Amino acid sequence: MQDQLNALVAEAQTNAHALAVRADFESFKARFVGPNGSLTQAMKGMGTLPKEQKPVVGKLINEAKQKLEAIFATCLAIIEEKEMAQRLGNPVDPSLASPDAPSGTRHPLAQMREEIVSIFRKIGFTIAEGSEVETEWHVFDALNTKPDHPARDLQDTYYFPDRDWVNVKAHADERYLLRTHTSSVQIRTLLAEKPPLRIISPGRCFRRDTVDATHSSNFHQVEGLYIDKKVTVKDLKAVLDYFFRELLGPDAKTRFRPHFFPYTEPSFEVDFHSAHLAKLGKQWVEIMGCGMVDPEVFKNVGYDPEQWSGFAFGMGIERIAMIVYGIDDIRYFYQNDLRFLRQF
Amino acid sequence: MKLSLQWLQRYVNLSAKSVQQIEEALTLIGFEVEGVEHKGLPVLENVQVGEVVEFQKHPNADKLRLCKVKTHPNEEPRTIVCGASNFAAGDRVIVALPGAALPTKDGNPFHIKISKIRGQESLGMMCSASELGLAETSDGILILTTRPEVGTSINSVFSGNDTIFDIEVTPNRPDCLSHLGMARELAAYFDLPLTPPQTPHTCEISGNPLLSSVDLQTATCPLYYAFSICGVKIAESPAWLKDALQAVGLRPINNVVDATNYILHECGQPLHAFDAGKIRGGKLIVRQAAEGEKITTLDGKVRELTAKMAVIADAERPLVIAGVMGSLDAEVDANTTDIVLEAAWFVPSDIRWTSRRLALSSDSAYRFERGVDAHATESAALRCVKIILETAGGAVSGNKLQQGQLPQTPTPITVQPSFFREYCGFGPDDATVQAVLARLSLSIQPTSNGWLVTPPPYRRDLERPVDLVEEFLRIYGTDRIPESDVVNRGIHRKDAPIAVFNSLAANLLQSKRFNECVHYSLRDGKEIEQWFGAELASALKLTNPLASDQSHLRPSLIPGLLDALRHNRSHGNDVRALFETGRVFRKRPTDEGSLWELASVACVLLPQTDSRHWLQREKPDLFTMKGLMIELLETAGVHIENPIFEPLHETSLWQERHSAQTGDITQEGYEINLGTLNLRMLKAWGLEMPVLAGELLITPAFFDKNRSRVKFQPYGTQPASVRDLALIVDRWQPAESVRGELDGFARKAVGSAFSVESVDIFDLYEGTGLPEGKKSLALSMKFRASDRTLKDEEVNTVFETIQKLIAAESTYIVRK
Repeated sequence: MQDQLNALVAEAQTNAHALAVRADFESFKARFVGPNGSLTQAMKGMGTLPKEQKPVVGKLINEAKQKLEAIFATCLAIIEEKEMAQRLGNPVDPSLASPDAPSGTRHPLAQMREEIVSIFRKIGFTIAEGSEVETEWHVFDALNTKPDHPARDLQDTYYFPDRDWVNVKAHADERYLLRTHTSSVQIRTLLAEKPPLRIISPGRCFRRDTVDATHSSNFHQVEGLYIDKKVTVKDLKAVLDYFFRELLGPDAKTRFRPHFFPYTEPSFEVDFHSAHLAKLGKQWVEIMGCGMVDPEVFKNVGYDPEQWSGFAFGMGIERIAMIVYGIDDIRYFYQNDLRFLRQF
Repeated sequence: MKLSLQWLQRYVNLSAKSVQQIEEALTLIGFEVEGVEHKGLPVLENVQVGEVVEFQKHPNADKLRLCKVKTHPNEEPRTIVCGASNFAAGDRVIVALPGAALPTKDGNPFHIKISKIRGQESLGMMCSASELGLAETSDGILILTTRPEVGTSINSVFSGNDTIFDIEVTPNRPDCLSHLGMARELAAYFDLPLTPPQTPHTCEISGNPLLSSVDLQTATCPLYYAFSICGVKIAESPAWLKDALQAVGLRPINNVVDATNYILHECGQPLHAFDAGKIRGGKLIVRQAAEGEKITTLDGKVRELTAKMAVIADAERPLVIAGVMGSLDAEVDANTTDIVLEAAWFVPSDIRWTSRRLALSSDSAYRFERGVDAHATESAALRCVKIILETAGGAVSGNKLQQGQLPQTPTPITVQPSFFREYCGFGPDDATVQAVLARLSLSIQPTSNGWLVTPPPYRRDLERPVDLVEEFLRIYGTDRIPESDVVNRGIHRKDAPIAVFNSLAANLLQSKRFNECVHYSLRDGKEIEQWFGAELASALKLTNPLASDQSHLRPSLIPGLLDALRHNRSHGNDVRALFETGRVFRKRPTDEGSLWELASVACVLLPQTDSRHWLQREKPDLFTMKGLMIELLETAGVHIENPIFEPLHETSLWQERHSAQTGDITQEGYEINLGTLNLRMLKAWGLEMPVLAGELLITPAFFDKNRSRVKFQPYGTQPASVRDLALIVDRWQPAESVRGELDGFARKAVGSAFSVESVDIFDLYEGTGLPEGKKSLALSMKFRASDRTLKDEEVNTVFETIQKLIAAESTYIVRK
């Protein structure tokens, strides 16, 4: 009996390594432990043995069974390994480039806009949006711009023939135009909402300029408006200083240059100073306009200037992007060359 | 505006200030300096007149001379090595002594030091004209033939140096459009005394006026003076007058015209001199022009006037377009002997209108349209008379003729002294504020009601307390506004949802490897006509386009993206997927003629690109675009599991049968168009390849809807049962309608027993084995009960009922 079992184990041992696929393995396994397998037969033969031999033979059979199972397990592991290798295919060469397109990009103007907006969000400003098609009252009159101000000329501002713009509400029957600044968003927000207000309005504006290295028929602005009780010039400076330090670094130096805008009094242009620009022969570069909201503007939107005060500021996104990224021609932004877009 | 430093110095002594300090001052008080130009010789220290006493050849160099040069009357001559040979002993020359810094073209000064040249010590340099910046090139050193005294500073020899500031004067400050005006500002800023030009109050008069009358007939001219001067001799102006005008870029003409121009740039009052002999009928009439009346202006052009314009005319014809420009008809010329000098004040807006309408600007119009100080008009005229008498001779003839009245002086402003501190947010005391305002000639009278501040007559821009705050800050110094921290109260307000959406959409598309583009909103009308039809094109045309390729508003972002595809392909860039977000403009479908502005996100995707890779990826197709656009719609807050897309018909933008549309812009506030763009149109565009595109249009009002918070729906733990079947349907039958119908049958069959969780299409087959014009759709139905595991039998019963319903209620055939 023992010899018979040894031979059986030896046979399994010898033939097991030749097995390559799972089906062969299963039939091989059945040859020993299947219903008609040799080990099964041996176990069945146990019944005919005298009682005293049973424990001895039983032990032998058990030992043989354990050996077989070990052989089967090893064999199966090898087969599984092979199967997995097959499923994976050939080994890869990781040095090959991915055939997928390079990552997508956000436009530098969009990145700059979001950066500016996110700075102001941190100090409690929220975004306000308005339409690009606007009316003369919202772009000029409400902002205290005199009826014969040159900015209203056909030479400088794009107008529309008399048409009905259903989602751009006019004040009376004034002309429709393409907004020349996003200040119209301030007016619409002041009219629609209640103070205190702290809004930032990024958006596209239009001026009737011939396209060249520094001019574009449309461009983008970010304007801010801060309305509360007892707002001061000092508050204006605090907010803008915060912004410039966030945008340009803690060493950013700015100066307020008195200027004139119809909608603010006092008004300032803000210049910023950079060692990088000094090399180009320019010490100070204009970066933004700002000022305290003119009492006339408050009156135009039905606010009491004795009760409410505030400031407004506005900057060109193209201009800031050009300074920050060192771009010398505004037309790059609108050409959409991938060699440009992928740099940012 | 050009500002001469020498000219300014006549009214304020700026000699202690450097050019840089003045430039900075101008900038900080609100006059942006656009350029600084130096004329003549800059101020040079240690550069002076010397005399060559003797010279000999340099012992160690053939081409050099060893010179003895006397540079100070009481000092011994010094040794200077010189390379020039154009001088002789006894010549007076310019010597730069050690310590001098000569100007150079690159801006870095050339410092003169004691040096050794070929073994000989040289104690200075004899200069050529080009070394001093007096000439572009020069041959040899400069010999001073006028023989100034030895030791004289070069700046005394070559006077006439000047610095010209080109400044921007904001429209609220017409009082600064002159040298006197700017001198006032600088005097205030530097706190220096101002010495205004001396003006005679009267002048000696003989005889009678040259005119019988001045007839004032128009409200455009509230005030008019005419002075008569007889016996002038027209000639070239004296050097001081010519230099002054040339310094600010004017061409001298003759002594009379130059005198008027001088006054304009001195105190900002435009004046006009007529040749009295050319005034017909002996009088001047200030009147509205007749419609169509013609005048030949001094620039030689014939101008046709309208009745809204004012003219100064004689009895027969217009001689001057009021406030703007004179005509050739009454021009002062070489033969003029008698002149009439006009000094007037015109209503700014009328002059602005006329100047714009005629597209004719002049130094006069520029000042009148911004506002001239009428209270200084007469004194300016008297000063001009004085200069004319001095430079052209003649005598004032008769009294001045005057018509009209002076306007009111500015109204005093009542302001609380504390207002300055409250508005500025920092604490200059009353005395400081008062002192600063006084420097600007604002008179302050304390009253029980606060301060009564009276601006000078030329400051008509000062009307309210806030205007005074600006004046205070300008002169006090904006650099003294203290720094502080941002202190805010919380405000309940949300970001505009459209901005949030645009940003999310852009980030989504970026993550899908799209490149964001930005194109102009204005496009070519012809292109819009081709893509979107003539009706929309004509609706989107601007009144006043500047260029034909930017004449219309864009109705879609797609043409711009095609431009970018074409640009990148023609430049050899591997372009594949582009997108843009922005506003587009359309006709509102529901009502005739009205337009609206919509927000849009659009993308283009090339199914095939030129780039080759070692590994091929599956090509994108319409369904790639569909998936993407549905994701965008989700981002916009529209959650529809399977929005129904209908084929697009009759469009020149999209390829028929390869494009689709969903949503309804008027009803639902959004719309999606997607698919392959019209191949014929693409070819015309220079893109001979299929282009997949998608655009989402959204009305801004779409986001106004209140979005409620999601409420959690509990779900069961019971397993689902699935049954599949295949249906043979007409080839053009939209699969979604088949799916929808089957979904209906399933619900009907299930009733309330349990629920139909989903019905999905999982296979599509067209081809052999099917009848002509048919296709086969394989669908999978998922059933679930919330309270139990479904038994096979009950699902089978439902499945059979469904098949019966299909047979009875539809034309579909269940494929066995």
